[in-house]
Order: sequence, then structure tokens, then C-alpha cells
Amino acid sequence: MQSGTFHSSYSSDMGLRPYWPMRIRIILVIAIMLIFPWFAGRYWLNLANTIGIAAISAIGLNILVGYTGQISIGQGGFMAVGAYTSGLLAANAGLPMWISVPIACVFTAIVGALFGLPSVRLKGLYLAIATLAAQEIIIWVLTHGKILGIGESLSLPPETSNLFGLSLTGSTDFNFYWLIMGCLVLTVLFVSNLFRSRAGRAMVAIRDQDIAAQVIGVDLFRYKLLAFATSSFFAGLAGALTAHYRGIISWERFTIETSILVLAMIIIGGLGSVSGAIYGAAFMTLLPALLSNVSRAASGVFPAFSSYLPYIQQAAFGLAIVLFLIFEPEGIVKMWRNLKDYFRLWPFSY
Amino acid sequence: MLTGRRWFGTIGAMLALTLLLAACGAAAPAAAPTTAPAAAPAGEAAPAGETAPVAASGEPIKIGAIFDLTGATADVSTPYSQGQIAFVEWKNANGGVAGRPIELIHEDYGYDVAKAEELYTQFVGENVVAFSGWGTGDTEALRPKITQDKLPFISGSYSAALANPAETPYNFLTAPSYSDQLIVAMKWAMEDWKAKGNTDAPTFAYLINDSPFGRSPLDDGTAFAAANGVATPLEVPSPKGATDLTPQLTQIKDSGAHYVFIQNVSSPASLAMKNAKSLGLDVQFVCLNWCANEQLVKLAGPDANGVVGTIPFSPAGSGAEVALAYAKEKGIDFGGADSSFVQGWTALSILVAGIEKTAADGKDLTGENIKVSMETLTNFDTGGVTQPITFTSTDHAGSKALRVFQVTDGKWAPITDFMTAK
Repeated sequence: MQSGTFHSSYSSDMGLRPYWPMRIRIILVIAIMLIFPWFAGRYWLNLANTIGIAAISAIGLNILVGYTGQISIGQGGFMAVGAYTSGLLAANAGLPMWISVPIACVFTAIVGALFGLPSVRLKGLYLAIATLAAQEIIIWVLTHGKILGIGESLSLPPETSNLFGLSLTGSTDFNFYWLIMGCLVLTVLFVSNLFRSRAGRAMVAIRDQDIAAQVIGVDLFRYKLLAFATSSFFAGLAGALTAHYRGIISWERFTIETSILVLAMIIIGGLGSVSGAIYGAAFMTLLPALLSNVSRAASGVFPAFSSYLPYIQQAAFGLAIVLFLIFEPEGIVKMWRNLKDYFRLWPFSY
Repeated sequence: MLTGRRWFGTIGAMLALTLLLAACGAAAPAAAPTTAPAAAPAGEAAPAGETAPVAASGEPIKIGAIFDLTGATADVSTPYSQGQIAFVEWKNANGGVAGRPIELIHEDYGYDVAKAEELYTQFVGENVVAFSGWGTGDTEALRPKITQDKLPFISGSYSAALANPAETPYNFLTAPSYSDQLIVAMKWAMEDWKAKGNTDAPTFAYLINDSPFGRSPLDDGTAFAAANGVATPLEVPSPKGATDLTPQLTQIKDSGAHYVFIQNVSSPASLAMKNAKSLGLDVQFVCLNWCANEQLVKLAGPDANGVVGTIPFSPAGSGAEVALAYAKEKGIDFGGADSSFVQGWTALSILVAGIEKTAADGKDLTGENIKVSMETLTNFDTGGVTQPITFTSTDHAGSKALRVFQVTDGKWAPITDFMTAK
């Protein structure tokens, strides 16, 4: 029986995955990710890609909300900036996505930092309203898109969806799976390491007590802006990937509902946790899909109820979220930890 | 320990949920034998028609469909969906397509583009040969996919962008495009303005759904207005889920508009009419397709009197009678929304006509073959619901003419002959 964990060097203390069970688990996860697309149909690939994109966006938002403690309901708007930047570059300049997507990410980061400026004076709910303004301003610009030369929707030429000349069209869902999962892995690595660096610790200090952080020498303004920029960078990545994956975009995809959905993902998954954001993204994508499949199965069996099923489906979705928050306010990541603890200590849990 | 106890609480709750789901799951198959599947009884219980219909049998032909039963356009999409489901039942009871039944795989998508994409990929995985969509936003979003999958697609959206096969080879419009509808409405408005003895140009305004659906016809409409010496109409979006449109109508009142063109669904349109009454706004409302229906009259009551509408699918004529009689016989309650019900029925009948033609030509029922057959569909008779439908390989706008209707004494009545945008 393990009585404790003892580190004898700083590098082992700082390790992201110091224990063997963790390493085996991550190898298993990677193995499943590598095997999955060869067996999954288009429906499941589409779901996996949706989850991947949502997870990138949620991890980005978690930097801002979970780690730095700055509430934002503008993530959907920032995703739109990324999607349209990449889309306009692809449609008008014919740039391939491996050039347009990084440009879109950097541009979104700049826009995010710009809208993060009020955060130096605003906190909590006030900041939330300021980010809501960001969301609405961005969508307003897009709906009055004639200024930017865009109509109701923007089609991306399929030939721009290529990576260094390697075309991703054809079996789009399969090809994009690798790209999206690659981006997700890089995002996870970056963000996990960010919070082992000075900048990341400064952000956590701001979240826990901003005045204390300032007293010990953290430049609040700088790190808040950095958090906004980093968070928006990933929102931009998620948006740009959406644009190229779907091949056509309209502002309807990036409304306030999207922002709230991403916020819900990190709250349900677990604030201030990278894996939590992924769990949240998966939960919020799979639950409605599961419910709609259950409802389809049920409509064949209870034809009399079939007209009520869509409403029951929505109610069940709401109920599941409320139950989640009641029983585990710290999110799925905490449930997973509890489960691990339970089996680790079994049968002598106290 | 407390956390331990709470943990058990969580497990308990999850177990309870699982059990509940399992109970539902277990109850499902048990109930199955007593309640027969939805598609079959239509085939077995043949309606008492003059001709003895033969129920379809054999391997079903699958058509995918998404409807908005819970979202922003549920008021008109619900009867539209009932029309499509009823059509499939009726068709199967009357021999189906070349003896094979049609299976409509359908699901609610709540007017959410991402959900539409998810359901689309799911249904494509279940080997549907054609698809019936709904909104403008999601039809546009699915455009690249259906082109790649070679899947003929009809939709409740008549965005003009979908009528050009060079860009959207698998989209088919079963009604005049929204742009054409708006231009016809404007033509009527200008004639009406002249008939009232005015010599100057009228002032127009748009009251629209805040979405790609709402904005779809505006550019073409404004170009038409400009060509006829009418000032650029004011564009007023009505916010989603608004319960009061007085601010929007005040804006219209200040602009001095004489004619307000509404591109929205019935509920917000009827709200606008009621608000206009209490605001004392005296304008002529002109509804395009999705608010020109019986629901508008039902919701707006006497305030709907005098409203003009472009109705591409007329709920009169022999084709509509078949649909409405079937609904009556089966006790389908679509809330009095005759035109939306008939629209769903007729739109799907046009798609199925294409499939029937493919089968009659002895070709395999693939998306590509169905598209070719659809493009040879000439003067398909919808029983007076629409003008005869013709698609060609260069033009996927099946019908270009419609009649303008007006509400008098709570009933829509035609006030013009068939008009085109040309």
C-alpha cells in the first residue's frame, strides 16, 4: 500500500505526470485517439471533431476564467474573429490554411487583448458585461458585413484546406480529425506548461487575490491582458478550424449562445483544469446527441408521445446540468478524482 | 467523512438516473408489440379510396429530414414537418415509390446549425438518398457537404443563392426564391400605391428575422426598389424572442414608410401587427412566405385584416385537398396551419417525384441519378398548389410565379393572378 509520494528532485516534483498509472493512462488515451478514426463512421468522426474544436475553445476560455479569474462571455465572438479572419484570407487571398490559421490566431489574440483592456478597471460581473459588449460588437460588425465585403455566409475554397500542400478534402471528417486532434494536443501541452511558468503562476495569483498579487510584484494589467490574448488565441484557433472544417461559415455559429455554451463546458468540466475543459466539451456535445438518439428510438415505440419528445429532450438536458451542479459543483474533473480516490483507497476508504 | 458521504450521494444520483434510463429502455421493447411502428400502419390500414391502393412493401427508400420543433421558427416548422410525415404515410399507403415504401428519417434540430450538421452526418450514415432541410442558415452550412456527398436537397429555405446549380448543384428550390417573392411583393405595392392615386414614389421598410433567413432577399429587393426610383428601404431586424416590437415599429414610423415587408415567421409578425395597432402605425404590412399563413390570422386576430402576403404554396386546389383530407381522416392536428402543412406535403412530393422518375427509368436510386431525374422534371403538377414545377440542369428554381393574397375577414384570398419577378 502506497503511503505517500516522495520526490527527491525538483524535476520529478514539477513533472506533469509523475506516477506510472498516469503515464499508462495517457498512453492508453493516445492509443485510443490513434485507433478511433479507423473504426469510427462519419457520424462519430463528426462528433469527435466537434468535441475537439469545442475543447480547444474551452481550454482557451479556462485560461481566462478558470486560471485568471476573469469572467468572459465573449468567447463566441472571438471564435468568429478567428473564423472570419482565416475565411477571408482563404477566400480573397487564396492563402492555404497552414498560413491563414496562424495569422487568424494572432489577429484574434490582438482583438482579444483589445477587448481585455477594460479588465484593468473592471472585475467580476462588470467585466462579464464588458465582454458581452465585445461579443455583440463583433456579431454586429459581421451582420453588417458589407463593410468587410462579406454576405450572409462566407464560403471557403476547398483547395485552401491543405497542410503544406497536402489536401484535407475528400474524406473531410477523417482528415480533419488528425488536424484537430493535433491542434488539441498542442493546446493541451502548451496550457499545461503555461501554468508551470512565471506567467501562469502570476495569473493564478491574480485569480486568488489580485491585491496580494500586486503587492508581491505581479503586474496586474500586463498579466490580465496576456490572459485575454492567450485565451483569444485559442478561441481564434477553434474558430479558424471550424471555418475550414465546415467549408462555410455564418455569424449564426458564433452568437452569445455559443459563448454561454463554452462557459457551461468549463463550469461543468471543472474550472481551472485542462482535462476538465475537455470533459466538459465532450459532455456538452455528447449529451444532446445521446438524448436525440434516445428520443429517436423512443418515437418509434411511443408514437403518441413523439410530438413531445423534443421538449422532453430539452428538459432532460437542462435537468442533467442542474443535477451535475448540485451534486458536484467542482465539475466532472472532481468526479473523476473522487472515483480514482475511491478505488485507490478501497476497501479502506475513510 | 463528509466528502465520502457526498460522493456516495453523487453515485446514488447517477445510479438513480441510470436506473430510470434503463427502466425507460426496458419498457420500450415491451411496449413495442402492442404499439406498432409508426411507418407500418399507414401501409397496412389502407384508406378507403376509390381506387384500391396497394400498400408499399420491400426495402424502404430512406429520406433524411430535419425540422425545427423547439427553436425560433417552430411555429411554422411544426405543421411543415407534419405535412412531410403525413405525405410519406399517404404515399406508402398508396403504393410508395415503384412498390417500395419511403422511410422518412427525421429529427428536431432546434434551428441550430451545429445540430443540423450532426444530424445530417448521422442520416447520411444511415444511407439516405435525398434530404429535406429547413432553415436558411443550416441549408447554407450544409451546402459544401451535400455537394460532396451528391445528395439532392430540398429545404424550407428559398434563398436565391441556392437556385444556381453552378454553385449549388444539389440544392433544389420548390418555390420562388425569397428574392423573387420580395420583388413580386414590391411590384404589387407599387401598383397599389399608384392605384390609390399617388404620383410620387412610396417608401418601403423591412422588418426581418435577425438571421441569414431574414436578410436573404434584402439585397435583391433593394436593387429592385432602386431601379424603380424607390429610396433604399430601412432595414429593421426584430430580436429573437422579442415580446414587444414597439421600438422597432417606432423606428419604422419615424422613417415614414408606407409598406413594410416582413421576412419572418408568424409569431413575431403577428406581434408586429398587434403592436402597430396600439402604436397607431398606419402602414401596409406585406408578409413573405413564412408569415403569410393561417397562424398569423389566428395570432393577430382582427389586426391581421388587410395584411398582404406572397403565398407560394396555396392551400387551395386539388393537391391541397388530398393533403387536408388525409389529415382530417387521420386526425392530424396541425393547429389550423393549412398552408404550412400543405407546403411541407407538396415540397416533399416534388422531391419524391424526382425519386419516382429515377425508379421509373430503371436507374439505381443514388443521389447522382436522382439529381439527373430531378433536372428532367418538366411541368410536374402539384394540383394547383404551385405553378407546375420544372427543373433544368441550369436552373434549380422549380417555380417562379406566385399569387399575392390578402386577409379579408380572417381569410387569405388571392388578389392577383400569378406574378413573376421578371
